[in-house]
Formats: sequence, structure tokens, C-alpha cells
Amino acid sequence: MKQRSLVGPLSIILFLAYMFLPILATYVFSIAIRWDRSILPEGLTFDWYRTAFQDRWFLIVFKHSITISAASVLVSALLIVPTAYWVHLKLPRALPLLNLISTLPFAIPAVVLALGLIKLYGQGPLQLARTPAMLVLAYVIFTLPFMYRPIASSLEAIDIQRLTEAAQSLGASWPRTLVQVILPNILPGILSGGLLVFATIFGEFTLATLLVGARYKTFPMQLVYYTRRDGRIASAYSVISFTVAWATSLVILWVATWGTRRSAGPRTAQDLTRKQASVGGKV
Amino acid sequence: MQISRSTRIRKAKGGGWNWVPLIPFLAITVAVMILPIAFMLEGSFKNGDGLFTLENYAQMAAPLYTQSFRNSILLSGITAIFGTLLGTAVGYFTYRLQSTRIRELVITLCDVTSNFSGAPLAFAFIVVLGSNGVLTLALSQYFGWKIYPAFSIYSFWGLVLAYTYFQLPLMVLLVLPAVAGLKQEWREAARSLGADSRTYWRYIGLPILAPAILANLLLLFANAFGAYATAYTLTGSRFNLVTLQLGSLLTGEVLRDPGAGDAMGILTLLLMGLTISLYQLAARRARRWRQ
Repeated sequence: MKQRSLVGPLSIILFLAYMFLPILATYVFSIAIRWDRSILPEGLTFDWYRTAFQDRWFLIVFKHSITISAASVLVSALLIVPTAYWVHLKLPRALPLLNLISTLPFAIPAVVLALGLIKLYGQGPLQLARTPAMLVLAYVIFTLPFMYRPIASSLEAIDIQRLTEAAQSLGASWPRTLVQVILPNILPGILSGGLLVFATIFGEFTLATLLVGARYKTFPMQLVYYTRRDGRIASAYSVISFTVAWATSLVILWVATWGTRRSAGPRTAQDLTRKQASVGGKV
Repeated sequence: MQISRSTRIRKAKGGGWNWVPLIPFLAITVAVMILPIAFMLEGSFKNGDGLFTLENYAQMAAPLYTQSFRNSILLSGITAIFGTLLGTAVGYFTYRLQSTRIRELVITLCDVTSNFSGAPLAFAFIVVLGSNGVLTLALSQYFGWKIYPAFSIYSFWGLVLAYTYFQLPLMVLLVLPAVAGLKQEWREAARSLGADSRTYWRYIGLPILAPAILANLLLLFANAFGAYATAYTLTGSRFNLVTLQLGSLLTGEVLRDPGAGDAMGILTLLLMGLTISLYQLAARRARRWRQ
């Protein structure tokens, strides 16, 4: 009995160490003058951040990543919210189809999606496959499960049938019903889906580099570039990337608790669907 | 395909107009997901002159391709097994923790760290275990244990370490609901019938958890198999993985036959599709206990 009570905490501590060490090391490395000859860093500095910020590429790639991520979230929400609402309300027959489509991206690695897109749209003078617009569309598909799942479970948690009928019996049109009645009710789902999509795309390297590459450099592309050139600047980039991921995760968790308080769904179940939905991206 | 189906329904039931609002969504799905794969499938059966051939698939038997599939399957398999074993244990211990605060903390940490992957993760591992890494130096200066050149973060086992990093927290999160589904009553019932802890796990606990664990194992496998950024940042295109091969084909670092690339892409999709389908089957079985 005593032995077992020790194994548990010990394995959790080891696990936490494994999880924390690389992150901690990167944070310290980014403010260390030198940390490749001795066990402790040789003094602290913010020079690497200054160098990173002064490079004119920093703002460009940051802006590119924000633009692409925000555009993808917007297109994704505009596409999925009305579709999911309509299917749940009027066309339950199409639910299996929608569920299937939103699971398919799990089985399609980013590299393969890029290969197919370049195969189909890469020819001709337009080179459609190589444009930021195509990248946004690819992201919409790639992150479909992240966006669709939370929205679908939000829709299932409320009585959309009754809400819609009530709104329409009071004379509301379809768009008005969706925007003024349904939307506020499923907002937590849209928010947590949208934030997850945003964070994923902000850190996404594969599709970005393989589709548009140097034509539209994003933040992760610049990070990979520096890992080969200057580790200190790469560490500043990594820390910024980590911090964006951190912040978004915490906001998502906060939204999730806020959402469950409103819709009273079981928290673990919601977390699980979101987590399963988030597999297959980013890496 | 969807359009023809909708027309048929409209004729049959008169309610086909209900499909119209789905058109934008279906159009983008077809244009960005279905058609590219269909073209790849077609391309995989065509030779340079556009004639039908099975040559592209026959080529997959060449050592270059078999090696990349073997490496990818080994890397994904090993890290999925590591992730599953360690993650299930950590998940179980986390669930049994007395303090809710610490439990919540571990869960939050898993949530956050499972989003750390790709290039920043790879770089973090270079900082820790690169040839001048923090841990590399500490081990050699404190313990006189030089891990290089026997180990390298840029090698297969280096990749195993980095991949396990993003598999582990994911597994903890995936396994927690399953562990939480083990009812206290079952354990008490087993004990009152004379079962010790070992018998309980052997005949009740593990059989109930088995479908969930298997499902998560498959998910982790697929997760690792499709990964590109982590391996690319660590090894460039030097290490022979399926995704790295396909990537170098796309960036034109290596000039090769596009038909072979299509065949490789299709084989990858088949493997991933199979894994995800099996995952769905196992997950459906696992859900039976959660009602």
C-alpha cells in the first residue's frame, strides 16, 4: 500500500519535469548571453529579442500569420455555423454526411493535402495553389474538425427547434433568427473552436511552407529559418510562439468553463471532443 | 456526387431545396479536399505519357520507399506505445490524486503542452539535448556521461523523444474520461466478492479500459504518422520518413517521378484511413461504458 502511494506522485513529478524542462530551457535560453559552454547561462540579456524585433521581417511574418489565421477563422465560422445550424434544424438526414466530412481531415496529413492541391491547382500561369487565398481554404478544411465539433455540441445542447420556432412565430427572418437568437446561444462553442483554429494556424508550418513558401512567409517559417541560422533569435521566436499558444489555451479553457456554466454540459465530455478534434494538426 | 443525390431526393420527396444551403460548404469540401485526392489517385495510375500503369505502385517496393514507410511506422508505433503506456499511468495517477487543485493543474498543463509541437518544440529539444544542449552539458559535466555521439537529437531516437513529448499530454487528456468512467461500485463489488487489486485490474478494470486505450493508441499513431514540422526542423530532409519524402518532392529538393509521389500519397491516405476507421470502431465500443 505504501509503495503504491509513492509510485503515483513520483511518476507525476517525472512527467511534469519532462513537460516543463524543454519549455523552461527555451525561455531561459532566449534571455541568456551564452548557454552552450556552461551549465548555467553566462549572464542575462534581452538582446536577442531586440535583434529579432529590429529585423524588418519580424513584423512582416507576424502580420502574415495573424492575417492568415484570422481570415481562416472568419471563413471557417461563416461557412460552418450556418451549415451546421441548417443541418441540425432542417436536414438531420445530412448529419452523418457532415460528421463524416468533418472527420476526414483527421486522416489527411498536411503534406498529402499540399501534394494534392499543388497537383490540381499548381499548373497554369495563375498558380492558384501557391496563393495565400488557397492557403486559407486549405486551413479551413484542415481545421474543420476543430471548428465543427464544438459548434455541433453547442447546437445539440440547446433546443434549436423550439428557439427557431419561437423566433419565427414572432416574425423573425432566417438570417435574423440565426444572428440574434441562435448565435448568442452557441457563442461559447464558436469561440472555443475559433480560438483553437487560430492557435493551430498561427503555429502551422507544413501547409504554409509547402503551399506558399517564400511568396508569403509566416511566423513559423521564419522560426525554422532561424533554427538553422541563429539559435538565439530562434529561441526568441519560439518563446513568442509558445506564449501565443499558452495564452490561447488558457482563454479556451476559460471559455469552456464559461460555456459549460451556461449550457450545463458535462465538462469532461466537452473537453474530450475538443481534444480529439485537435488531434492531427500542428505537428 | 452530392448534387446528384440532392436532385434525386428532391424528385422523390419534394424536400430537396433543403440541400441548397449546404452548397457553399460542400463546394469547398469538394474543391479543396475531395478533388485533389481524386486527382492524386488518378495520377498514381498514370505514367509519364498519361497512360494507365501500375508501375508507380510497383516502384514502392524499392528500398527508398519501403525504408521511409518502415521508419514512419516504427517512429509512430513506438511513440504511440510509449505515449499510451506512460500516458495511461499518468492519467490514472492524476485521477486518483487527492487534491483537486493539483489534478486541475495537471490537466491544464496537459492542455497547454499538447499544443506545443512542430517547430518550437523541435527547437526546444535542440536547446535541451542538442550537441551543446543544457542537459547534454549537465550530464557530461556532473556525471561524466557523454551522450553524444551515441545519442543524437537529430537521429531516430531523438525524434522518438520529441514525438513522445507531444503524444504524452494528449494521451493523458484522452484517457482521463475513460479512467473516470471506472465506477467505484465495480471495485467495491469485486472486493466484496474477494478480489484483490490485481484480480480487479485483470478481470474488470483493464477489460473495461481496453477499447478506450486501443482507440487512443490508434489516434496517437495517426497523429505521429502525419507529423512533418517537428521532424523537418530537427533533421531537415535527411531522415527518411514518409512525410519528409513527400515534402522534399514538393519543394523540389529531390527531382523524382511525380507518379511515385502520388502513389506514396495514396498509400499514406489508405494507412491513415484504416487507422482512423479502427479508431472510430474502438472509440464507439469504449463509449458503451460511459452512459
